Amino acid sequence: MLIQFYNVSKIYPNGVKALDDVSLKIDRGEFVFLMGPSGAGKSTLIKMLFREEKPTRGQIFIASRSIVRMKRKEIPALRRSMGIVFQDFKLLENKTVYENVAFAMEVVGAKPNDIKYRVPELLKMVGLKGKEKCFPGELSGGEQQRVGIARALANQPMVLIADEPTGNLDVDTSCEIMELLYDINRRGTTVIMATHARELVRNAHKRVIILEKGKVVGDYPNGEFLA
Amino acid sequence: MRNIAYFWREAWRSLSRNRLLTLATVSTVCICVLILGVALLLTVNAGNFMKHLESDVEIVAFVDKSLTPSQVKAIGKELTAIPGIDKVKFVSREEGLKKLQQKMGMEKLEETIGENPLPDTYEIKASDPREVPHLARKIEKIEGIYKVKYGQGVVEKLFQVTRWIRIVSMAVIILLALGAVFLIATTIRLAIYSRRKEIYLMKLIGATDWFIRWPFFIEGFILGTLGALVAVAILALAYNSLISNMQTVFFLPLVAKAEVVNRIYLGLIGVGSLLGIVGTYISVNRFLKV
Ligand SMILES: Nc1ncnc2c1ncn2[C@@H]1O[C@H](COP(=O)(O)OP(=O)(O)OP(=O)(O)O)[C@@H](O)[C@H]1O
Ligand SMILES: [Mg+2]
Repeated sequence: MLIQFYNVSKIYPNGVKALDDVSLKIDRGEFVFLMGPSGAGKSTLIKMLFREEKPTRGQIFIASRSIVRMKRKEIPALRRSMGIVFQDFKLLENKTVYENVAFAMEVVGAKPNDIKYRVPELLKMVGLKGKEKCFPGELSGGEQQRVGIARALANQPMVLIADEPTGNLDVDTSCEIMELLYDINRRGTTVIMATHARELVRNAHKRVIILEKGKVVGDYPNGEFLA
Repeated sequence: MRNIAYFWREAWRSLSRNRLLTLATVSTVCICVLILGVALLLTVNAGNFMKHLESDVEIVAFVDKSLTPSQVKAIGKELTAIPGIDKVKFVSREEGLKKLQQKMGMEKLEETIGENPLPDTYEIKASDPREVPHLARKIEKIEGIYKVKYGQGVVEKLFQVTRWIRIVSMAVIILLALGAVFLIATTIRLAIYSRRKEIYLMKLIGATDWFIRWPFFIEGFILGTLGALVAVAILALAYNSLISNMQTVFFLPLVAKAEVVNRIYLGLIGVGSLLGIVGTYISVNRFLKV
């Protein structure tokens, strides 16, 4: 098992109970949608995966290691095994497409030669060949998210975590991004994606976990509930 | 190792992004180090003056004329026994007269003024010139000595002056150092603020705490060291031209020994770097929640 949640609850300091006794397992190589109404706790669950938030109660294991008991100085290693894609892309505006992707490798201390080799490869894979020297402001939303995905994949993570990666994109562009994510999943990377977009999920025939008011209220291996 | 180039590049980029603040910070460090340097050079030179005065600053004790030669000798023994006294030399009234005649370029002075007016004297040297005033008071109390003279207050004045320099420059330096540290901390805080998005990303990508902190420490180090370097350059230019133009101040030589002066310059640069690092430390601790 890659990811295991055991009776995880999260109560924010302001008293909001964002997750309530959540238990779930995700295997290597799976593609999982997290769905549920606004405020259900999807983002909270996702932030727990890379220890941006700590559970109030319960245990989380990633690759059989407890990340709740994890020491501060072990967190960078955990995060290097994950790639994170954001709804608002979070690209650095003053860096080019190439530099944005290279940045992810630089900050984990990759060799310059590895960076030179890998960045063009990634950009080709996400379909941005020829856009290396563009700045994010010169790209469409879909293209910007491709940069975000390339950056997330830069350090060859086991898991790709995406919180509403298509939230800022139109339907067609969203479908293209989904194709890219399926492709990445086919190559062996586990993908966890929170989304509101039912039409995307309906056609995917992937596992869907439904959250409501912080509880898991449904878990469908092939997304059959939407059919 | 290969990260070092990255850290310097990031630090440099950040410094050039906010030029005005960089300039203000470097200037403050520069002024602070400059004043520290002037104070240090003054102190070192004052110490040097003391050494040169040492030979002049002997205590002269005047012996009562009514004493018998054996009583005069006894006083000499008593003087030698006082701790802190290095040398005691007896100068008889005849020798004193001879010296005076030589000094004034007049022979047969005695004929002009009649009887030799001078008393027997003891010329006393202290092992530490700073002890001179204290020793003089002690010697004055000895029976048979009616007067004590030494350096006409020069010693005390010089000590007063150096102490005064030390106190005032200390106060000014502490104030300026606080100002410099504060400005450096502000510069770093702004740098952290303007890079907050980047820092957040770096954390999520898995950069270590120190990888994130290093560029800021280098930035602070550059600010402090640059300010100190400018200050040392100004100081060295001014001091060297002082040495080559005057060589002496009030007939006392300036300290020009390269090893002493260079040590001061190196120390000053170190102080600048330290200010930079302390300023960074404050901001990184307060504002860089990694
Ligand atoms: N940092 C926080 N501090 C306090 N409360 C928070 C914090 N983050 C989220 N919450 C609260 O926790 C609950 C769950 O929020 P969360 O962001 O996980 O929901 P979500 O399912 O991602 O919603 P959405 O679909 O709108 O993104 C909400 O009530 C929210 O207000
Ligand atoms: Mg959310």
